[in-house]
Amino acid sequence: MSHEIMTAPGDTISARPANMWRDAGRDILAQRSAQVGLVILSALFAIALAAPIIAVHEPNDPVGIAEGLTAQQRGPCIRLLGCPEERPEHIFGVDRNGRDVFSRVVHGARVSLWIGFATVGFAIFVGTLLGSVAGFAGGWIDNLIMRLMDVLLAFPALVLAIAIVTVLEPGLVNAGLAIGVVAIPIYARVMRASVLSIKERDFVTASRALGESPSGILLRRIVPNALTPLIVQGTLGIASAILDIAALSFLGLGAQPPLAEWGSMIGLDRNQLFTDPHLILIPGVALSLSVLGFNLLGDGLRDALDPRLNR
Amino acid sequence: MAAPFRVSASRSSGYTPAMLRFITRRVLLTIPVLIGIVFVVFAVARILPGDPCKAALGERATEARCALFRERFGLDEPIPVQFGIYLSDLSRGDLGTSISQGVPVSDMLVQRLPLTLELTFFALALAASLGILLGVAAAARRNSAVDVATMVGANLGISTPVFVLGLLLIFIFAVVLRDTPFVLPPGGRLTAGVTIIPLTESWGLTELEGPLRIVVDFFSNMYLLNSLITGQWEVLGDALRHLILPAVALATIPLSIIARITRSSLLDVLGQDYIRTARAKGLSEQRVVLRHGLRNAILPVVTVIGLSLGSLLAGAVLTESIFGLTGLGRTITDAVLARDYAVVQGLTLVTAVIYVLVNLIVDISYGYLDPRIRLQ
Amino acid sequence: MQRWRTFSILVALGLVVAACTTTSTSQEPSGSAEPSTPESMAPFVATSYPADGPADCAYGGEFSQITAVDEFTVRFDLCYPDPAFLAKIAFTANAINDTAWLEANMVNHLILARPNGTGPYKFKEYVRGDHITLEKFDGYWGDAAIAQEVIFQWNSEAAARLLALQAGTVDGIDNPGTDDFPVIEGDANLALEPREALNVFYVGITNTYAPWDNELVRQAVGLGIDRQRIVDNFYPAGSTVADYFSPAALAYASEGAAWPDFDPTAAKAKLAEAGFPDGFDTTIFYRDVVRSYLPTPGLVAADIQNQLLVNLNIRADIVVQDSGTFIDNSSQGLLNGLHLLGWGADYPDTSNFLDYHFNNPANLQFGTIDSSVSDAIAAGGQTLDPAARAAAYGDANTALVETVPMIPIAHGGSGAAFRADVAGAHSSPLGNEYFAVMDPGGRSTMVWMQNSYPISLYCADETDGETLRVCEQVMEALYSYSIGGTDAVPQLAEECVGNDDLTSFTCTLRQGVSFHDGSHFDANDVVASYAVQWDAAHPLHIGRTGSFEYFAAFFAQFLNAPE
Repeated sequence: MSHEIMTAPGDTISARPANMWRDAGRDILAQRSAQVGLVILSALFAIALAAPIIAVHEPNDPVGIAEGLTAQQRGPCIRLLGCPEERPEHIFGVDRNGRDVFSRVVHGARVSLWIGFATVGFAIFVGTLLGSVAGFAGGWIDNLIMRLMDVLLAFPALVLAIAIVTVLEPGLVNAGLAIGVVAIPIYARVMRASVLSIKERDFVTASRALGESPSGILLRRIVPNALTPLIVQGTLGIASAILDIAALSFLGLGAQPPLAEWGSMIGLDRNQLFTDPHLILIPGVALSLSVLGFNLLGDGLRDALDPRLNR
Repeated sequence: MAAPFRVSASRSSGYTPAMLRFITRRVLLTIPVLIGIVFVVFAVARILPGDPCKAALGERATEARCALFRERFGLDEPIPVQFGIYLSDLSRGDLGTSISQGVPVSDMLVQRLPLTLELTFFALALAASLGILLGVAAAARRNSAVDVATMVGANLGISTPVFVLGLLLIFIFAVVLRDTPFVLPPGGRLTAGVTIIPLTESWGLTELEGPLRIVVDFFSNMYLLNSLITGQWEVLGDALRHLILPAVALATIPLSIIARITRSSLLDVLGQDYIRTARAKGLSEQRVVLRHGLRNAILPVVTVIGLSLGSLLAGAVLTESIFGLTGLGRTITDAVLARDYAVVQGLTLVTAVIYVLVNLIVDISYGYLDPRIRLQ
Repeated sequence: MQRWRTFSILVALGLVVAACTTTSTSQEPSGSAEPSTPESMAPFVATSYPADGPADCAYGGEFSQITAVDEFTVRFDLCYPDPAFLAKIAFTANAINDTAWLEANMVNHLILARPNGTGPYKFKEYVRGDHITLEKFDGYWGDAAIAQEVIFQWNSEAAARLLALQAGTVDGIDNPGTDDFPVIEGDANLALEPREALNVFYVGITNTYAPWDNELVRQAVGLGIDRQRIVDNFYPAGSTVADYFSPAALAYASEGAAWPDFDPTAAKAKLAEAGFPDGFDTTIFYRDVVRSYLPTPGLVAADIQNQLLVNLNIRADIVVQDSGTFIDNSSQGLLNGLHLLGWGADYPDTSNFLDYHFNNPANLQFGTIDSSVSDAIAAGGQTLDPAARAAAYGDANTALVETVPMIPIAHGGSGAAFRADVAGAHSSPLGNEYFAVMDPGGRSTMVWMQNSYPISLYCADETDGETLRVCEQVMEALYSYSIGGTDAVPQLAEECVGNDDLTSFTCTLRQGVSFHDGSHFDANDVVASYAVQWDAAHPLHIGRTGSFEYFAAFFAQFLNAPE
């Protein structure tokens, strides 16, 4: 059942690696969606890196309460757009604990990026391990592993993640672990498909006849072959990981207060949509844009690196 | 993903030995998966920390009362014994009794699953129609502004949290448009005071008992289906109006995937030689894309639509919450948080089984349509 | 052959008859519990419980015997005086059921889905997951209900409830969000009914863990939290800072020393005196559940964390636990740190607040309670002289300020909101809104949306306010709470009079009252309704979970309680 994987393992690999990377890079940049995605993501990374500098306040500091802001004064107040002098400036407003939303959103970028990468990294690591073992070993080991993957895939991802997180105790890392576990089958299948497609090739049989070890074959043939779909799948995976972790945090099972995470921020204030819309819309837009960036980049990567597209 | 086949070629007829072998293999492979699901569900439910007694009885629970509580629900037996009891109950079709509600889990299933199924299919239909449309538009003008715009739009859909979208939709249609003909209700399944006549009454089956009754009640709780086949047109209209907003909010989840798959699958096909031939033959671009391209490209899309069920069920958790709908997703989440083992086990099991069966059907039909798959 | 055929025909007929007499699911009381002799015909045989004489009070509970003196008189004999007796019997869990109905519907659990009461509304249907419909009972003994039907709906999101109210699809909602109060007040189509705060939110301290075992540390934190700031920022209008543990509306609540004002300097000094000039590390535990005493637990926890740090240099981690685990851990005294919890009034008496928390050996929330507190509370609960009660509770409150087992923060106001054209709209401090007196703008149906759904409809074995509110409309007890208020007023009893030392209460019952299924209400029904809850060995002591929480909480112990 390999049809849910977006790309098939690539065919032959260019004989001159250096040109392959340069060509790939050029192809990627030629894709409009990749361009847009890269622009968004560069902004995101820049913000995340510079967070401690550009955040005006500490993300957990209830400055609003100290400043005596009332419930009606929580909204964004921007000097450039006419915020009066007496009122302290908060360009994204403050939340109900008096914390500066801009600072929290900016720090939230760090949180989402690191947990997104960590989650997918974990899933790729375990998934490719399982997939290569299954692909190489074949027989009952292959069957067993793939059945396990099927069982994992049989549950709606969020429900299984909720159950896992509840078992492990709510927390950002545990949420990432849960989402990672749920995502393992995807990468296992990609790797296994790659292994299978290469394993029977003539040049592999030849190599083995010549005494090349399985790990050598793995490293020099299979991994580069699997790299493309893994990169594409991984990029898209980061997008959904960020979203899923935000969903878990929204439900109170992921990032725990007072950590500034976008999903958690929206969840805490979800009933404030009409009284303090900025509390939901701003982290919501940040979340949407970040996920969008990864999705667009992933799409662009796939378009560029899929060798079967006739150009 | 398998490449599409030639237009002219082997669309084999049904039940050849290879096909039967394929179906049998697929079905047999499902069985260990189902067994695995039963085991995982039970294990996870038992590993959940926290005491169902305290969750059920709350602040005023004392240890003495919890002892009685646990004895009543068989929670004081050792785990293997509990598993044994669970399995034997399961073989008789008994999914247990909800700890927090005191009603049989099968009752809850009959009450709540139909709603989720209706909502899910409605959302899926919306997502499929719009998604395919967008995907075709994007593929036909690859790498142009239209392409990027439709992909960005579809992606925005999936990137926007369902909860925010739901609230916004309610605000616009239920409050802002309140006194206009475009008003839509903010939640629930039917307007207060509108009641639907159950199938058992419409068909004079009120004395029916047993499994047949369960089946009839199940379909009776699908308000769209029920009102359609019994001709309760006002109820049908009311139920539809209540489902529109949640279905739209939910549809944004698979929309992007369907659009994306349609686009990439169509691009795959459009790159094939026979498409070049078709163009060379002088066929209009529209005909090439739709008749020759889409027909072959549709297979992976169908697969993905089937697979979207999982993410839809997950998204339903949040959607059901905001629209005040008591469906499966919400029930499972509440049960996990309340440590209601019986409900978690029963409903998760049913959900997973449905999912596996849907995938099985998709697999088999995929094998039916693409002969090379079944030869693997 | 002939006989065989006849026999098989008879068998077939028998099966057909058997199949046709099976009953259907949740519908209104259909009289399947009709006794063989119509009640009005049978001579009244008085019952008492226990039938063979008063129970031995060594069992530890409040009742010794409940007797039907005659058809319309019941006497409750108590093991100890109870000044709050009338307030307790007014609680919905003590609603009166028809004896035959209990016998027919308890063992098979049907009573959980089919309530049969004496109230102005009778149960029509419960479409699980969606709504409950009640319809007007034409045979009601009192003033008939106004609206023909009441429909209960529910949604856990405050924003969604407000939207439904604004959209006009419901006539009233419970618990609008804190920030929605001004929105509702500013909308001419809506009316806000604020709910008096009959609850308390406190920060609990389990004094068996260091450094919380040091009284000076506890006193320091008691001075170092700005409680006014918490109420101002995180509670709706109508909330007040808690100067005492019990809310001010209750008699004897405000006796003795009030909680000292926020004083960060004194707090820091005290902490230094205790040996922690640089503060220490601890944890704040809470559960993420909305209650009227704490509508926004996450926000309050974050603020307390910040205040502890800024005012006292105490560095606190925040740990969120799920509700069941949290209650379990707190009541067993397992939380090493501070825990956020509260209490809502069951019946309007100070004993409901103080006794459960500070004179209850089963509750280990606060570790060891100083005897100065528990002795004073015990004294206050068993005397009848108002002056003596006031003095005792005064001593208790003063001891609480001294020993600081917890820090009372707020009495949380909440509210209900209605469409402006609903006449008779009100909110109840006990959450007992009474829909029979509401006229939904001339419409025939009153639609009410609350937070959550009722779990079952047999309220003797329920504790959740959302469930109890439904029962309130359909079932009646001997007394009830005044509409929108807290006074205990007669309902099914015309009057209950206590003897001199309040160890016995005799209630004269109303005559000519019918249950919804047509049965007549008499004294035996009262005996049966209480006996089923009281005696753990009673064959009908089943309910939903068999816990009968409120009975145990109000009347201390069951007869024949299992060890």
